[in-house]
Amino acid sequence: MKKLTLLAALAGLVGIAGTAQADKLDDIMASGTLRCAVVLDFPPMGMRDENNEPIGFDVDYCRDLAAALGVEAEIVETPFPERIPALMSGRVDVGVASTSDTLERAKTVGFSIPYFAFEMAVTANTGTGISSYEGMKGFTVGAVAGTYEAIALEAQVNEWGEGTFRPYQTQADVFLALSQGQLDATVSTSTVAQANVQSGNFENIQVVGFAPFDTDYVALFARRDEYGLLNYLDLFVNQQIRTGRYEELYEKWVGGEVPRLTIPNAHR
Amino acid sequence: MFDYTFQWGQAMARLPRMLDGAVVTMQIAVLSMALGIALAILLTVLRLSGSRPLMAVATTWVEIARNTPALFQIYMAHFGVASFGLYLSPFASILVGITFNNAGYLTENFRGALKAIPDTQSRAGRSLGMSQIQAFRYIVMPQMLRISFLPMTNQMVWAILMTSLGVTVGMNSDLYGVTQDLNALTFRTFELFAIAAVIFYVITKTITLGGRLIASRLFRY
Repeated sequence: MKKLTLLAALAGLVGIAGTAQADKLDDIMASGTLRCAVVLDFPPMGMRDENNEPIGFDVDYCRDLAAALGVEAEIVETPFPERIPALMSGRVDVGVASTSDTLERAKTVGFSIPYFAFEMAVTANTGTGISSYEGMKGFTVGAVAGTYEAIALEAQVNEWGEGTFRPYQTQADVFLALSQGQLDATVSTSTVAQANVQSGNFENIQVVGFAPFDTDYVALFARRDEYGLLNYLDLFVNQQIRTGRYEELYEKWVGGEVPRLTIPNAHR
Repeated sequence: MFDYTFQWGQAMARLPRMLDGAVVTMQIAVLSMALGIALAILLTVLRLSGSRPLMAVATTWVEIARNTPALFQIYMAHFGVASFGLYLSPFASILVGITFNNAGYLTENFRGALKAIPDTQSRAGRSLGMSQIQAFRYIVMPQMLRISFLPMTNQMVWAILMTSLGVTVGMNSDLYGVTQDLNALTFRTFELFAIAAVIFYVITKTITLGGRLIASRLFRY
């Protein structure tokens, strides 16, 4: 009888200790599944193959992270505007969604160190004669609502004081509007621009140059108070670069010169 | 499990921009209703005209407006007509889309109202020497508009809510568009959309109550 009580007390203690200290990282390991928010309308970072299976840089990155944690990866398709609701409502554990790590956003979610960096390219409708970033002044320009480039481009249009900015919901709508002539030019990541011009799905568009925005560093994100997980994410990103896996994935999905993720003269 | 610290200050600081957006939303709704009522009267006349081709036009309009999603109608007003080289700005697209929808629904409302007006009235008008058009204009139409007044306020509420579909065609100055812009900027999703919901509610409730008040004052027998 005494033994049984002791056993029960011990079990109770383990139970309490288990629940009281379990953080998100524990929960992920216990559940055996890592649920990643990935944007699948954003080639080559996230898209679907002919069999409708998610593929892309972010998809592979999520799978690497799950493998490191020793769990299964679950890709949860999440459009750009729904990343935060998905995280806060507990539908996903971590965002691998090409999310720009702005200070404004960091007031709401926790970011890892940058895991990827984008350069921004200007794509114009060939009928407009726009041949550079500055050439867009006074024209109707657009980008995908909620992205880094949309925020920067809207600010630029306001600064120029002429022309119009229009956000669309998806990258496909932006290029449709551009090829129809509803938009004169767009700014997107250079990877997206090249992919869409080369797809042949859209007529009358060409990449005309780079946009002089600051490099768009993107980071993994998780809940702001989950230090255990955020700490793990930082180390994971670091290890991806250290082991050459970052370069390998870059070569696989993007190609060309691999962007540096460190900032000269900065601590982190 | 949902635990999230609401930071209302961060969102409330953007309230002025959202209220500007609410004004644009009201503009779209009011314009689309004015145009929608005018078009619905026209469609009703076409339906009563007795001419087969004209009736077919009216019926086709009503059928499409009532039996396809509003999102589809607005999308077509923007990307659809653009394939024919006609470019509508986001504001014009959403206005055309909602007007099209309003006109379809209101025409049906008017049809219901007409059923409540005895045929003998327009015949009495005719016997007093009025033309068919005069009898409709002076006797039937005022009653039709009166009977369908409350359904019209319903449609107005619908129009307000439908403006939120403008984001699909690049609209970013209406209430929903502004909210989404601010969300991208700050990630304060829950606060911003909660505020937007309250603004939407206040607007639509005001319309419903205002409509009832006007109806009770104007239409006393």
